[in-house]
Amino acid sequence: MLLSGRASITGISELPPQKDGRGLRTLDLLAQAARLAIQDAGLRKSDIDGLLVAPPSEDTAFMWPAQVAEYLQIFPASLNMVELGGASAVGCVNRAALLVAAGICRYCLCLSGGVWGTGVFNDRAGKSAVMSGAELEYELPYGPMGFNSGYALAARRHMHEYGTTPEQLAKIAVDQRRSALFNPLALFNQSALTIEEVLASPVIVDPIHLLEIVRPCSGAAAVVVSRTEAAPDTPQPRVAILGMGEACTHNSIVYAPGLTATPIALSAQKAFAMADVKPGDIDLVSLYDCYTITVLLTLEDAGFCPRGEGGHFVESTDLSFRGALPCNTHGGQLSCGQASYAGGMSHVIEAVRQLRGQAGERQVEGHRLAFVNGNGGVLSTQSSLVLGGD
Amino acid sequence: MPENYSDFFKEKCSQGELWLPYCPHCQKAFFYPRGHCPFCLEEGWQWMPASGRGKVYSYTIVRVSALDEFKEATPYVYALIDLEEGVRLASNVVNCPEELLQPDLPVKLTWVEREGRRLPVFTPVEGN
Repeated sequence: MLLSGRASITGISELPPQKDGRGLRTLDLLAQAARLAIQDAGLRKSDIDGLLVAPPSEDTAFMWPAQVAEYLQIFPASLNMVELGGASAVGCVNRAALLVAAGICRYCLCLSGGVWGTGVFNDRAGKSAVMSGAELEYELPYGPMGFNSGYALAARRHMHEYGTTPEQLAKIAVDQRRSALFNPLALFNQSALTIEEVLASPVIVDPIHLLEIVRPCSGAAAVVVSRTEAAPDTPQPRVAILGMGEACTHNSIVYAPGLTATPIALSAQKAFAMADVKPGDIDLVSLYDCYTITVLLTLEDAGFCPRGEGGHFVESTDLSFRGALPCNTHGGQLSCGQASYAGGMSHVIEAVRQLRGQAGERQVEGHRLAFVNGNGGVLSTQSSLVLGGD
Repeated sequence: MPENYSDFFKEKCSQGELWLPYCPHCQKAFFYPRGHCPFCLEEGWQWMPASGRGKVYSYTIVRVSALDEFKEATPYVYALIDLEEGVRLASNVVNCPEELLQPDLPVKLTWVEREGRRLPVFTPVEGN
């Protein structure tokens, strides 16, 4: 395959997520994350010749890549903003890999982050900001609750078709929390969680409980993608990009082909085919977890269990870092918080830590291959990666 | 393409009629109304009245609403409805006991007034 292995992730950084966004600015967070990732890659800022940025939170998106490049005083041969919602971070890494494999760039910086203001998403203006014209005209009059209701529709349909239970979905959050207890960066790492506690938390949009929903926060994360042949002596163990895939079937979930079969299937298939591996070869997974149902649908559609059997699979499989299929060993967004678009980058970064053997107390034993998935909107845009350690 | 398709749709709703865009070339209805048929991208589509019969594809009960116009009505049912014509749309299920509500429930068209607009919503078909 033309691309497989020609690009590597050689630098990562993740700022501690912050519950309180007051006084923070996205550009400052991005600069800090950029400095740390470039250091981690053993590069100088002047080496960076490609810039991929996820959209801003409070700033205007107009000319955002140039705004970021100006602040950082980086002068890239290629720069762009990737807007795929929650899949933007993986989307940045995918595009960086294309740029370095094509010989356009040698070292691409992928940046994501944002500042959480409490009003975002929850009031009418916040909701409207993430709705298309069609959604505003033909959905908002019926009172959708943004992403919450979209994923609730998917969860309800999955329960109806396959008998999936609230307990099975809750276990995903519980297993991820068991790993989060060993992640000092996680917002929620103080105590273990039980299925009973998840189900006792308020039902926000039936059948989704509060503890199955990400907590937005502020933060930033960065990744350096290097042309493999241009990075022979990186300070960190190299992580190769072996496969990638993307897919999209809808913007609003109302117009998705279905609620229980998602574009994740196609995106994952493409990534596995490029890497020439199967789901059974994968040692650990980092799956976008805005809600528990997202993880369950990803496990099914990416082929880690048959369609419809996700409930039984998560019930009978230890998903923690000690388990048979370690999933979101940093705790996922459900335990770490969702630092705007950097939430999706956290999945890439945790996979890299594991593949490098740098995950500390939560290190997975076998760590040769990882599958990463980014998901945007309500099961809309999908970006997948297969990563390989040395 | 029919002019002012958005206005036409709302105008029909205000008269208590649900109309759908229909592409004679593709022989398919589609939703939402838009200038070009989403299947063939041609403009020559027509309006057709909907039967008003359909099924609940999925639903969610909103227990906490951030929207003022729903404060009094919460909890309420936000649902995806599959119409007989082969289109799916977002709506509400009204006058339905919670124990009856489930995906695939047959429903029929009815109307509510909300924020000065008449909106197509759905209610269980009698005998279910």
